[in-house]
Amino acid sequence: MSERQKSPAWKTQLRPSVLAKQALPWVVPILLLMVWQSASSAGILPSRFLPSPRAVVSSFIALSASGELWMHVRVSTLRALAGFAMGGGLGLVLGLLTGSLHWAETLLDTTIQMVRNIPPLALIPLVILWFGIDESAKLFLVSLGVFFPVYINTFHGIRSVDRGLLEMGRTYGLSGWPLYREIILPGALPSILVGVRFSLGLMWVILIVAETISARSGIGYMTMNAREFMQTDVMVVGILLYAVLGKLADLLAKGLERYWLRWNPAYQRAR
Amino acid sequence: MPVTCSSGEIATGDRRCSRGVSVRIQSVSIAFGGRTVLENFDIEISAGEFVAIVGRSGCGKSTLLRSVVGLETPQAGTITLGNVAEHARKHDGKPDLRPPVRSAVRPEARPDVRVMFQDSRLLPWRRVLPNVMLGLEPALIPQARKVLAQVGLAERAGDWPATLSGGQRQRVALARALVHDPNLLLLDEPLGSLDALTRIEMQQLIEDIWRSRGFTAMLVTHDVAEAISLADRVILIEGGCVALDEVVNIPRPRTRGGTRFAALEERILGRVLQRRRVVEDRW
Repeated sequence: MSERQKSPAWKTQLRPSVLAKQALPWVVPILLLMVWQSASSAGILPSRFLPSPRAVVSSFIALSASGELWMHVRVSTLRALAGFAMGGGLGLVLGLLTGSLHWAETLLDTTIQMVRNIPPLALIPLVILWFGIDESAKLFLVSLGVFFPVYINTFHGIRSVDRGLLEMGRTYGLSGWPLYREIILPGALPSILVGVRFSLGLMWVILIVAETISARSGIGYMTMNAREFMQTDVMVVGILLYAVLGKLADLLAKGLERYWLRWNPAYQRAR
Repeated sequence: MPVTCSSGEIATGDRRCSRGVSVRIQSVSIAFGGRTVLENFDIEISAGEFVAIVGRSGCGKSTLLRSVVGLETPQAGTITLGNVAEHARKHDGKPDLRPPVRSAVRPEARPDVRVMFQDSRLLPWRRVLPNVMLGLEPALIPQARKVLAQVGLAERAGDWPATLSGGQRQRVALARALVHDPNLLLLDEPLGSLDALTRIEMQQLIEDIWRSRGFTAMLVTHDVAEAISLADRVILIEGGCVALDEVVNIPRPRTRGGTRFAALEERILGRVLQRRRVVEDRW
């Protein structure tokens, strides 16, 4: 008992202030940046190998001032979102279908599980043959990649809805769409959002590869084009842009989780 | 069968008779995977009566309750609510996703029969008031608020169920059942997971509401004292049949310390334990 009383006091002494807590995640990136800059300045890191952070920043400013950067970012983001909407939407619909109806599961699940084991990027030769180096090729690859995480998690979410709640709903006369809206969908939502977050990460990975292989615009194209001219600073800007966009997508997914799952104590304090 | 209007000591005694619905369970048999849970089971419950069903774990008391509301399908027999017979339904074993039909064939869709489960089964993604409103038109919000006030949780209407205590959650579940103004309330060990003090409070609340509203109540419990303090009649189930059917003739409000209370509790408990001794001897 005395141990338990002591422990909070001991904790408050060591608890970091709010400011320090917010600064903590940035300590490692800033340290890395400092090491990188000093290595470049000292000449240990040749600029044709890796440009200095200062060079990357000035290249970023030049690219964004000319508007070229934003054009590429817009094209890539639109591709990513369109592919996500198509693949994720289809995954959601099919996941809801196979999760809710047994005959749909019997009909479709085996096929989907087989196709799932093919990495989307392995289809690139075939996709180029089918769609050429058109927009549709990139949309197809992104859609295919994001489809499976959304599908699997939706299916699993529907299947793991609390049976007690379903039973309760039925004794209250709920069935059909009201039962779906009140109990099945909200019950599956945490799992569906896990799938969404997962596929948002996958979305960028697949888009990078698709854009580096065949494109005339987009961040991947910009990076590959810079390689032709040995513009390492532009290459690094492109790579860092993916990191930023990926983080933004993750923040969006987290925001959705915090809003839609605010009833769940596990998500209330999640930061 | 005793008509319990005579035991209604309160002024609303007459209303009780008109409100409740009678339950007649006739030669019902239920088996799960070859194991018989209830066999040729018969009981009759009058309108407005409060019946407690006790028995050891796995004796089929919950199954009985669930079959009254249509969550289990008896292999044989009929369950009659009021004067409309619910005949043995076709057993297809599939989850029911058909639209609700307000007929005696599907009593789970009957708006006048409500269940309270052992766990509150509140929707965690709905705040307290929307939980109480489940399956109701938005026009009935004032009524839901009134019932919520009746169970003493008016000020928690906007809270998430996750922030409530176990007892408060059961109160919300009770309010959710009561807002439909049921003629038959089925209580499936609703107080089983509560602490002793909260339990007594909840028993009082359920008794008060039953007395003022006059619905028929079926309470499944493993707590003999709880059964005696609440019910007009205590039915003991053993081996799938009625082993004991005792009318509780103790005037309300009942105090647990009373001699008649203690004597009855001892008699029923003795009957439960005696059965176990017989079973153990046989082994």
